[in-house]
Amino acid sequence: MGALFHDPILLAIVLGTNLPFLSMAVILLFTRSNPKLSSQISVGAILVSAVSAIYLLAKLHCASPLQYQTLWFSSDKLLIAFGYYLDPLSLLMLTIVGVIACLVQIYSLGYMAGDPGYSRYYAFQSLFAWAMLNMVIAGSMLQLFIYWEMVGLASYFLIGFYYEKWSASQAGKKAFVMNRVGDVGFFLGLIWLVIGFGNLGIPELNHAAATQGLPQHVLTVAALLIFCGVIGKSAQFPLLTWLPDAMEGPTPVSALLHSATMVAAGVYMFSRIFPFFSASPDAMAVALAIGTITMLLSGTMAMVTYDLKQVWAYSTVSQLGMMVMALAAGGYFAGVFHLTTHAGFKALLFLCSGIFIHEFHTNDMRIIGKKGGRRLKIPMACIAVGALALSGVFPFSGFFSKEAILGVLAAQPNKIWLAAALLGAVMTAYYSFRLIFHLLFPKDGIEEKQHEEHGHSSHGHEEDHHGYIFWAMAIPVMILAGVSLVLGFVEHPIEHFLIGHIVEAHPVAHGAEHGGGEWLMIMGVSAGLLGIAVAWFEFGRKGASRKGFLSYFPAVWKLFDRRWFLDIFYRKSLDTFVYGGLTSLFTKNDRRVIDGGIDGICFFTEGSGRLFSFLQSGMLQYNLLMMVLAAGVAVLYLLF
Amino acid sequence: MNSLSTYLIISALLFSMGLMGILQRRNLIGMLISVELLLNAANLNFMAFNRFLAPDPVIGQIIALFVMGLAAAEAAIGLSIILALYRKMHSINIERAQRLKG
Repeated sequence: MGALFHDPILLAIVLGTNLPFLSMAVILLFTRSNPKLSSQISVGAILVSAVSAIYLLAKLHCASPLQYQTLWFSSDKLLIAFGYYLDPLSLLMLTIVGVIACLVQIYSLGYMAGDPGYSRYYAFQSLFAWAMLNMVIAGSMLQLFIYWEMVGLASYFLIGFYYEKWSASQAGKKAFVMNRVGDVGFFLGLIWLVIGFGNLGIPELNHAAATQGLPQHVLTVAALLIFCGVIGKSAQFPLLTWLPDAMEGPTPVSALLHSATMVAAGVYMFSRIFPFFSASPDAMAVALAIGTITMLLSGTMAMVTYDLKQVWAYSTVSQLGMMVMALAAGGYFAGVFHLTTHAGFKALLFLCSGIFIHEFHTNDMRIIGKKGGRRLKIPMACIAVGALALSGVFPFSGFFSKEAILGVLAAQPNKIWLAAALLGAVMTAYYSFRLIFHLLFPKDGIEEKQHEEHGHSSHGHEEDHHGYIFWAMAIPVMILAGVSLVLGFVEHPIEHFLIGHIVEAHPVAHGAEHGGGEWLMIMGVSAGLLGIAVAWFEFGRKGASRKGFLSYFPAVWKLFDRRWFLDIFYRKSLDTFVYGGLTSLFTKNDRRVIDGGIDGICFFTEGSGRLFSFLQSGMLQYNLLMMVLAAGVAVLYLLF
Repeated sequence: MNSLSTYLIISALLFSMGLMGILQRRNLIGMLISVELLLNAANLNFMAFNRFLAPDPVIGQIIALFVMGLAAAEAAIGLSIILALYRKMHSINIERAQRLKG
């Protein structure tokens, strides 16, 4: 306890990561009936977290990795430590999570105002932040896994926040179950590691000498199993459909979920034990393929939906695919940097969309455009900044991180990955600007009168509405827009900061990162511009059809719109294999074997009881007489 | 007169009376009293053996005290069972309790 107060760094860690949990407990136990106080407690706690994260980053940015740990338990030769591990990656991520969670909670002050579940919302937000912050600085894989599950739990609560709504509770369940599928793999991978390697400490796993001592197949199986966790959490290819459904939660939750916490956890874990993964080329190849498939699939889905949040959801999946691609191609820095910039601009995009949704009470981009979405100047400008960053246009942050990724992919011997990434970039720019142009230039102009009349009755006096609620939402958005503008220019300091340490541990890791050149940059930007140009041609210019070229191919449109029939496929296979096969077998086993067995025993006992009861007269004294006589006979026998 | 066999005979008489009572009486209270007689016969035996055969450690007396405690507990439980039976059957006749056979 004494050490806690003498070591400001440890104090900052402990306070920063655990205050949100405390605030959740206080809110749930004491202040539920007082929404205002609850939100203040929660925001206060997360502010402390953000400040201490920044403090730690500033204090430790040039120090060597710092580790605090105590032995949690030991079993035979297996030692599981519980502690904190602070290296550049976790410091960077800690800051991202702290800052974004803080901004989102401030934003929620406006967005959630007047919601009946206001206190509950803040309690779960705190839980979410706590789990994620602790996951980031976990010192061993087991500890990481525990908080990983907590993150999943918190996101379940928040996705299903409007639990009275059938679709919301379903979406929460879906997210939880699909994550579980991946987590089973993750956990098996950890067990496999314990058996094969005998240690779960993150620094130990990342140590080059340690992984080289293992046979290749053990390593590959472990890496692939652990990658299952990434697939589930980061919504990669086979398990990607939960994320778009997660839109049922409140918009700030989506912002948090899609940028810094839930889905980032998967990519974070991948980069957390990146040297370990890169020791297995086979696993990396699988990851690269999965990342590419994910990126392309979800990009196509985003091109046809009209739901504002769904577009960004698919785009998140696609960008996560891109991060996984970058990491799997050996671009440690590129992946992490894209994670960083993406956290900024995706939170920005969601929060901006949240303002529109709050204002117009619809998710449909066509209706928002028609009702005058572009009159909300601040969010409109900010969403444009976010979309530009997402499309990878120079000077916005996305440009720099996408260039880094393209550079990594260009260094791959097989150029198909690069081509896929460029195609993905075109699609990204296309769907983002399809949305922007829908908002900016609605089909039949803005409906002036009608909206004004509606506006006064309920909620939306746009121009004189700049009160507390609006600013609570607008200020975080503007901060994030600023971040998206400048983050790209600190690429090199971040690279130095991140790579400086990892090089010693694993020299192969970043050899690929200095490929590329001018032509790559040109290709990257032109891919983005091409997408924007197509979007402009179809949705922006005067007299544009505003349908999109995909509408000429109804079959393709349907395929994309129904998410490549993935959900239907899951439903069908669940119905046939799980419910039809396994579950019915278990049900039969339950009915016939277990229930039948117990019933049989009962029947036998009862029947034999009835049989023997005929021997009983029920007269106590006859029994006693028999006893006495028997005792007398025994005495006679013993005496003579 | 003051010899072991005197006490043993008295004790045997007590025991027989108790046994007779418990086998013959149809009244549950009577049966309970008979059980007390049986216990007292045993107590008397303990005391007599202790007095005449092994006087130094007073184990016999201690056991007699235990038996008394036991008898008290047994009487309490027996009486409560009889009360419960009386509430159910409105009688303390043991023959009525035959209905419990089911």
